[in-house]
Amino acid sequence: MDVGLLAQILINGVFLGGLYAIMALGLALVWGVLNIVNLAHGAFIMLGAYLSWYLYAGLGIDPFLGLPINAVVMFMVGYALQRGLLNLVVRAPMFNTLLITFGLEVVLTYLAQLAFSADFRTINPPYAGNSIALGSLVLPQARLMAFGVAVVLTVAMWAFLLRTKLGRAIRATAQNLVAARLYGVEPRHLYATTFGIGIGLAGAAGGLYGTVSQINPYIGATLTAKCFAISIIGGLDNPLGVLLGGLVLGVIESLAVLYIGATFADVASFSVLVLVLIVRPRGLLGKAA
Amino acid sequence: MSNSRFSVAGAILAAAIVLGWSTAVSAADIVLGASVQLTGPSANTGRYYKDAYEFAIDKINEAGGVTVGGEKRKLALKLYDNQSDVNLSVRQYTQLVSKDKVDLLLGPFASNFALADSAVSEKYQIPMVQGGGASDQIFSRKFKYIFGTLAPASNYFGTTVKMLKELDPAPKSIALLYADDAFDVSVAEGTRPLLKDAGLSIAIDEKYSSNASDFNSLLSQIKSNGTDVVLMAGHETEILNFVRQAKSLAVAPKLYSFTVGVPSEDFRKALGADAEYAFGMAAWLPSADLKDRWFGDAAAFAKDYKAKFGYDPDYHAASGVADVEALAQAIENAGDTDPAKVRDALANLKLDSLYGPLAFGENGQIDLPQIVIQVQGDAIAPIYGAKGFVGKPKYPMPAWNAR
Repeated sequence: MDVGLLAQILINGVFLGGLYAIMALGLALVWGVLNIVNLAHGAFIMLGAYLSWYLYAGLGIDPFLGLPINAVVMFMVGYALQRGLLNLVVRAPMFNTLLITFGLEVVLTYLAQLAFSADFRTINPPYAGNSIALGSLVLPQARLMAFGVAVVLTVAMWAFLLRTKLGRAIRATAQNLVAARLYGVEPRHLYATTFGIGIGLAGAAGGLYGTVSQINPYIGATLTAKCFAISIIGGLDNPLGVLLGGLVLGVIESLAVLYIGATFADVASFSVLVLVLIVRPRGLLGKAA
Repeated sequence: MSNSRFSVAGAILAAAIVLGWSTAVSAADIVLGASVQLTGPSANTGRYYKDAYEFAIDKINEAGGVTVGGEKRKLALKLYDNQSDVNLSVRQYTQLVSKDKVDLLLGPFASNFALADSAVSEKYQIPMVQGGGASDQIFSRKFKYIFGTLAPASNYFGTTVKMLKELDPAPKSIALLYADDAFDVSVAEGTRPLLKDAGLSIAIDEKYSSNASDFNSLLSQIKSNGTDVVLMAGHETEILNFVRQAKSLAVAPKLYSFTVGVPSEDFRKALGADAEYAFGMAAWLPSADLKDRWFGDAAAFAKDYKAKFGYDPDYHAASGVADVEALAQAIENAGDTDPAKVRDALANLKLDSLYGPLAFGENGQIDLPQIVIQVQGDAIAPIYGAKGFVGKPKYPMPAWNAR
């Protein structure tokens, strides 16, 4: 076996995993805290990608520099949606939350087609196709940057949840709502903030996705499925787990293409999912049940 | 009466218009039924068929319509949106023939749809002329009521392989990549023997999942193998990702060619300068030599089409127009709208159209040679046709950092 090729495939997998991780971060957060499996998560990534596209194509704002704009705009969208719509199902049975977020994903997707048309788009800053050569290895620049953003955001999320008052309140609410309320946490605002952060992360992920892939209104559903798998593999308790889950998935998919065949990438990733559910049902970094 | 009730009624009306329920149909009209992808993942190409069908029907009606037994009759279209869902499209075709009682059928886009939907036309014995499905599977079942105006999928790369043998420096090894659906599998199955006969070795032969968005592993293998030529049969979304990722991994084979995307304006818009050098194929180019009864010629058609819809027609649109024209001419030849008579007229049809000479083979499929094309600058250049080179190929493709 060609060692250079294997090393290249591993690098590809790690970069892909970083992108996966940042896409899944918001889904895992919302799932862990609000107990809502947000089936519209991929649709929000799609909206974020279009936002970046318009910022870049319309106003000339670099997609990486525009990420904070994405995050803030999508945070506001998420906050408002949670207060107005999703708060209705926070304590409802799982089925209701699935139904409402599925409906949301359908509505967002079709509104996106009306607003943006079915044209394929790409966010194509001059450096998007550049790469850095390391001997025989090639590091795609946009993916490297996306990977860096993913690591920074994951660690920032981790520190935020662990160290800040708001972050602790979010974790406390996830662990024990009654106790958190006794300590003065106002759940309505807190839930909306958490959902807003989740959607803000999806918005940022969309901007990154658009620089390495093509965008159309229908990319959401498959991305949601990926994020779902990563959240389960990584666990919901810890953003670092999500990063690990993304990396595991990225590397396994890349290796599966090399050794088994390209049609088996999804089979391999869902096999890992099943394996994790059997062996470590709370995720790779999750605490024992 | 509150305003909200009006707005609800308005919304329902709007939905009805969108879904085509309100298509005006007068008693004497000959109704053609179709279900195409107006929404969902295939909407990007599906809409070409809607535009093409409507454009052709309007044009034929402007010219007075179709002469049936000495009487002029207009054509009408009954169109549903199948939301890119095969199962829904089968139900809609069933509804078109059983409930809406349309006279004749036009097809959906894409082979897997045509494959499923042609079972309906066969069962109810209503001829379907479809220009969206090229897979050989559609025509290998001895169905009598399905006619296709796309060239056979198995031969999509036929002209390309011929060209490969005449290129200098001669390419040696080939990577064949294809998606796991009816059309692309047919392309791959047809291409393998062509490559073998041409003495070219297949270094990589890989099927991938239709929704794949990451090609980094495959690209790294192509680079590591030093493969000269990549032939890829897939969907436009995958091909866009493939090209972008090839650039970011600095993978530049001597030549790559794609079954779809390259002829469409959308492809060049999405990729910008990176679309350059991409090879593809088209069974149709808007040439003034292709004379047409209703549109004058193909060049005039392309001009009118662009003026009306704001984008250049590619072979999908021309194929869709050819479907309507084939039905119109067959009705006139049969002198009747009876499905069985129209079916026989279709089988014997000989019509020079803007799409090329329309004549269906024994299996119902047309046979048109593909023309190899390449993106050069911001236009499509014809490179290689049935009689050899018709343009100068930009070959081999330079490295990405040398452009």
